[in-house]
Amino acid sequence: MKTRTTLIFLLLAAAAGLLAWVNIYAGEVGLSHGRLAHILFARDLSDVESKIVWEIRLPRVVAAAVLGGALALSGYLLQAFFANPIAGPYVLGISSGAKLAVAALMVAASEFGFGVRAYMSVGAAFVGASIATSFVIFAARKVRSMSVLIVCGVMIGYICSAATELLVSFADDANIVNLHNWSLGSFASVSWNDARWFLPLTAVGVAVSALLAKGVEAYLYGEDYAASLGMSVKKFRAALILTSSLLSATVAAFAGPISFVGIAVPHVARRALKSANPRVVIPASFLGGAVFCLFCDLLARRMFAPRELSISTVTAVFGAPIVISMLLGKRRA
Amino acid sequence: MSELLARDLAVGYGKTPLISEISLRVRSGEIVAVVGPNGAGKTTLLKTVAGLLEPQGGALFLDSQDFQTVRPSERAKRIAVMTTARAAAEFATCRDVVSVGRYQFTGVMGRLSAADRAAVDGALQTVGAQELSDAEFDKLSDGQKQRVLLARALAQEPGVLILDEPTGFLDVGYKLEFIATLKRLARDKKIGVLMTTHEIELARAAADSAVCVSADRRIDRVGPARDVLTNDYVETLFNIPRGEFGRTYGERSPSRGSEPALSAFSASHSNRPGAKFLMIQGTMSNVGKSLIAAGLCRVFKQDGYRVAPFKSQNMALNSYVTADGLEMGRAQVMQAEAAGIAPSVLMNPILLKPTDDCGSQVIVNGKVVGNMRAKEYFAYKTKLLPDICAAVDKLAAENDIIVIEGAGSPAEINLKANDIVNMGIAKLVDAPVVLVGDVDRGGVFAQLLGTLELLDPDERARVTGLIVNKFRGDKSILDPGLAELERRSGIPVVGVVPYAELNLDDEDSLSERFARVSSAAVNVGVVKFDHIANFTDFDVFEQIPGAAVRYVRRPSELVGLDLLILPGTKNTIADMRRLTETGLESAILKYASAGGPVVGICGGYQILGEEVSDPHGAESGGRARGLGLLPVATEITPEKRRRQVEGTFVESTGILAALRGAAWSGYEIHMGRTRPTDPALAEWTSEGSGYCRGNIYGTYVHGLFDRKEVVSRVVGALAKRKGIELTLDGVADYAAIKEREYDRLAQILRESLDMTAVYKTIGANR
Repeated sequence: MKTRTTLIFLLLAAAAGLLAWVNIYAGEVGLSHGRLAHILFARDLSDVESKIVWEIRLPRVVAAAVLGGALALSGYLLQAFFANPIAGPYVLGISSGAKLAVAALMVAASEFGFGVRAYMSVGAAFVGASIATSFVIFAARKVRSMSVLIVCGVMIGYICSAATELLVSFADDANIVNLHNWSLGSFASVSWNDARWFLPLTAVGVAVSALLAKGVEAYLYGEDYAASLGMSVKKFRAALILTSSLLSATVAAFAGPISFVGIAVPHVARRALKSANPRVVIPASFLGGAVFCLFCDLLARRMFAPRELSISTVTAVFGAPIVISMLLGKRRA
Repeated sequence: MSELLARDLAVGYGKTPLISEISLRVRSGEIVAVVGPNGAGKTTLLKTVAGLLEPQGGALFLDSQDFQTVRPSERAKRIAVMTTARAAAEFATCRDVVSVGRYQFTGVMGRLSAADRAAVDGALQTVGAQELSDAEFDKLSDGQKQRVLLARALAQEPGVLILDEPTGFLDVGYKLEFIATLKRLARDKKIGVLMTTHEIELARAAADSAVCVSADRRIDRVGPARDVLTNDYVETLFNIPRGEFGRTYGERSPSRGSEPALSAFSASHSNRPGAKFLMIQGTMSNVGKSLIAAGLCRVFKQDGYRVAPFKSQNMALNSYVTADGLEMGRAQVMQAEAAGIAPSVLMNPILLKPTDDCGSQVIVNGKVVGNMRAKEYFAYKTKLLPDICAAVDKLAAENDIIVIEGAGSPAEINLKANDIVNMGIAKLVDAPVVLVGDVDRGGVFAQLLGTLELLDPDERARVTGLIVNKFRGDKSILDPGLAELERRSGIPVVGVVPYAELNLDDEDSLSERFARVSSAAVNVGVVKFDHIANFTDFDVFEQIPGAAVRYVRRPSELVGLDLLILPGTKNTIADMRRLTETGLESAILKYASAGGPVVGICGGYQILGEEVSDPHGAESGGRARGLGLLPVATEITPEKRRRQVEGTFVESTGILAALRGAAWSGYEIHMGRTRPTDPALAEWTSEGSGYCRGNIYGTYVHGLFDRKEVVSRVVGALAKRKGIELTLDGVADYAAIKEREYDRLAQILRESLDMTAVYKTIGANR
């Protein structure tokens, strides 16, 4: 492996470790580093402080890291699918589709009086993501232009958001606050119970992506070329889009829609590595997504503490300029 | 070494094919250019041939294998496609790009092995791009990119390379460099190249052959690029005003005005070491194609050429079994004799033996494939094309001239699709055609003109000469008609061949076959066992005029036999079981009980007995009941007996009584011992090597009939039984008689045909 690649992976791992620590350390309830180390490594669950660390901060850090990685990876797979570096689950409206489905589920739950279980949200998110994806694929068949595709995605996003707003206005008061927070995107309410779902789902998504890496590389050079190499393009595309949907639906179900991570992170990863090889870009995107979301979540929590920002607010601040620079770069090319 | 072959291929996306009836062939080491106006469907054609689109009809073969059955993973190792689509892989180095070509060679994670790396480096080196390996692909010039993309295709180590407008983006310098590389690849690596191009000049200079797709989406012309792509033709193809192309690009039109098919032929074959072809087609069955082909074989042989006959498909009951045990039609055996070479199934890869009015047993490369109804066969036969091509290619590699015989008429317009015997073959090997009409049956002018009329223009262009056959009398009477024939057809009459009585095994067509079978004085049938061995035992009968040998597989074929021989077999027990299964057993018993003479030799002898046991499992083990015609029993033993023997016929009963006391010589080669179960059984061949009773004879001696007095006594006795007197003098000289007849035939052709014109037609110099 090239030194550059090694260096970047080391940097990413260090950043992830450091940010994880800082995220757990920082908070309203102050802790010394020694105390924190003791709580974490001795698995001390005796007092309130340790409960805060173990029940609130740690699951949130895990969620930010894992779901952030999943989101970046989902974006990378979509970019491969559409052969378009500006594709991502948020801009293509896929996250919003998932959001709408989950919102519908929540409203239905309060209306008919059943409790929303984690698997229900994941299922609903997956259905919503898949429907939105189908729309985008349909649009992509009709138009061959990258920018038109993005506009279609954004429109789908607006439609879904509008429908979500509509649902929220008809929902019971008690649920609105909850739903409103979630619909803006946040890692705040993630519990260990949720982790039992999103950890294996993300693991599956990552494993399948690793297996798809070889195909993604060939697919970068065009559909016909991939087919000429003996690849089953139809099956490959299906695997690609299903994996991407699974990953973005998982994120949407537990953290709501999070903007720009899917586009910005793989792009930065490619630039930093100076490589198109999926075998390195895939792990780098995942790690990069984790670092980026840990960083953004830290800011979301602490910048205006005790007020918390929605995660998308922060990711947009950092992600949108990257995407804009990409668009401008494309224009130049 | 790969080869791509399309026959009557239809390509397109929707329900109606974009282009149909595409027949083309990309041989290893050959560059084939597809040219034609924009929108004619060239790219669709390429995509289909590359396996990216489903064919809409027809047949496509890769190395003789039906393309549909080649798995995509396998295909990618044999065909590489060089796409011109711009790569989207930012930051990828040239080495990264080329490495993707190893897709099918790497494991599930796509890691390159040392062999893969070597292939990638080799490919980069081949195109002269090794110094670019670590450069970023996106930053290269167009010419460099094209080179790297070619390297990527080469990394697949393909036999066939497919390129779509590879020179489209290149300036003239890069263009020339790229084409030089392609030519080098074809020559040195024996890669077959199929490419579309708009560069007519380039196709002319670089391609071995050109496939022209016209604006109305037909394959308009196929042939050597430099001959097909004349300025005149290019103007027609692209709908350019007369003379415009030449004015702009310069008057460099190689064979302007010459007959395209003719010049196409000579050029395509003069630059290849293989053979030249000549095809003899007839206006109908029995016009004498076989004899004219045989005579030409002899003429060419006399003139010092290595010549071989060929006919893709024969329909005949009476076959010949070659030295390697394979079945083929007799006409090509005769022609091979005329050519002075040993017959081989390559000369007749497909043999159909009619079983009833609408079914046949299909024999491919000498081996039975199965029984098929006419309709089934019609659908199946395109699959045989690779076998035909392989056979022609092998013959062409070893000979200077191949004389191809057609079958029936080339103008059977109901059967024209998927033709593999007449114009289909002529197109496949790019052979000029001489059309033969039969004046004896009348209407020869109508035969010839009518046939030409029903041919497609490209087929008609292949016909370079006409022959009037079987003429009796004064040729000058015919002359006014011949002049008119030439005027109307525009094709020269190369000769009027007189009617000649020849003592040769001439025809193989269905009607004559039956006639011949009943007219032969003595019919000897040999059971065609699945594991038949030592069939040369019966060649001696072939040498006797008036005797015919036929191989028998089904009960109905026993009718009319004067002698039935059960030959040696390599697996007695298995073949005995087959006899029972096919119903031949009861037919043979019926034949024997009616007094028909049966001779069993070696394995056939064992089968004649009551029982064959194989306690040591020397063959297939077990035991089998024999036919029980002779009271003998056989035990197969592991040790093989192999020796030359001489002896006499100690006793000979029944019809072959005349053999008594005659001396024979031959050899034994068998495993097993056969003993009489009836002590009173008469010894036939000495030393207990064979016994007989009534008209049933069995022996271990191979070559028993080889001596002249033995075979003449056998045939004489059989003829006498039918009340025919056969003159058997000069039996052993039959081969010499045939030689004389072939020479006579050659002389007749030399006198009646314009041989200079014939040689010119096939592109050979005298």
